[in-house]
Amino acid sequence: MRYSYGIMDRRKILLYEPYLFLSGDDLLVFPTKDFHKWQGDIKEYIDGLYQINSINMEETKSLNITEFNLAVAVINNIREELEQMFDSDKISDFSYHYISTLDEKYKKQKGDYYTNDMRRCDIKIHVKPKITPWLKYNHMMEIVNQVAQDFASPQKSGKQQ
Amino acid sequence: MRMSEGVPKGRIVEIYNPGMFQEHEEVIVFTRNESSSFYNSMQEQIDYINEIDLYLNRGDEWKLIGYWPKILERIHILDMNMDSLLKKEPLQCYLDASLYNTIRSSHKNVAVSKRKVSVQSNLPI
Repeated sequence: MRYSYGIMDRRKILLYEPYLFLSGDDLLVFPTKDFHKWQGDIKEYIDGLYQINSINMEETKSLNITEFNLAVAVINNIREELEQMFDSDKISDFSYHYISTLDEKYKKQKGDYYTNDMRRCDIKIHVKPKITPWLKYNHMMEIVNQVAQDFASPQKSGKQQ
Repeated sequence: MRMSEGVPKGRIVEIYNPGMFQEHEEVIVFTRNESSSFYNSMQEQIDYINEIDLYLNRGDEWKLIGYWPKILERIHILDMNMDSLLKKEPLQCYLDASLYNTIRSSHKNVAVSKRKVSVQSNLPI
């Protein structure tokens, strides 16, 4: 993402790299210290998720429901942190700053995770759909509606940019 | 986090809410469009994982063997997005094609299309 640091000077921001932005751009400005802390917090949660996954690195074990629940809870925390991006009342806690030291190998998936058997199960259709005229009509209307939307939008999107 | 919108004017940014920041405070500046792509991409991944959580019966633990790699893919996207914030490269999430158009077509256009296409004869589906 294009970004520039800047400094607040007499109620305006002096950019260090002003050439990055065009005159028509809308800009969002965040305090640097808070932003780095916020980014570190979310990275910390994501590393936590990778740590939950590390159980899968062992050959015999697979995830169970408790670990899944834990992962979902961490995802909810990430969502809350994300929403606080725009909450001006939130005060950052600067008592620590997280730097990610997670080894890259924990982010890789096991090579043979998705086996041939699994794939066969996934692509097999258990109930063959009966092709009725109603189904054909709806299929065609989906395409027609999408095209109609695409034709309707260029005028609006011209104004947006 | 304290945040203000603004417009660039040469070397400076005129912000709409100058009281938000203190004098000589260092700030970081992004474009609104890219922040929006980033935010939407993050929300998409989170929504996907939450949906899996909602629809999973707690008795069907064996299904996790299939769901977890999918979830891991999404976590990877979350990770890439967070990294991309502080890199000067184009966003990975630009490459995600979005089929959901937020601008609705007017009814007039759709009704005209319906009239011109006859269902029975033209399409060899």
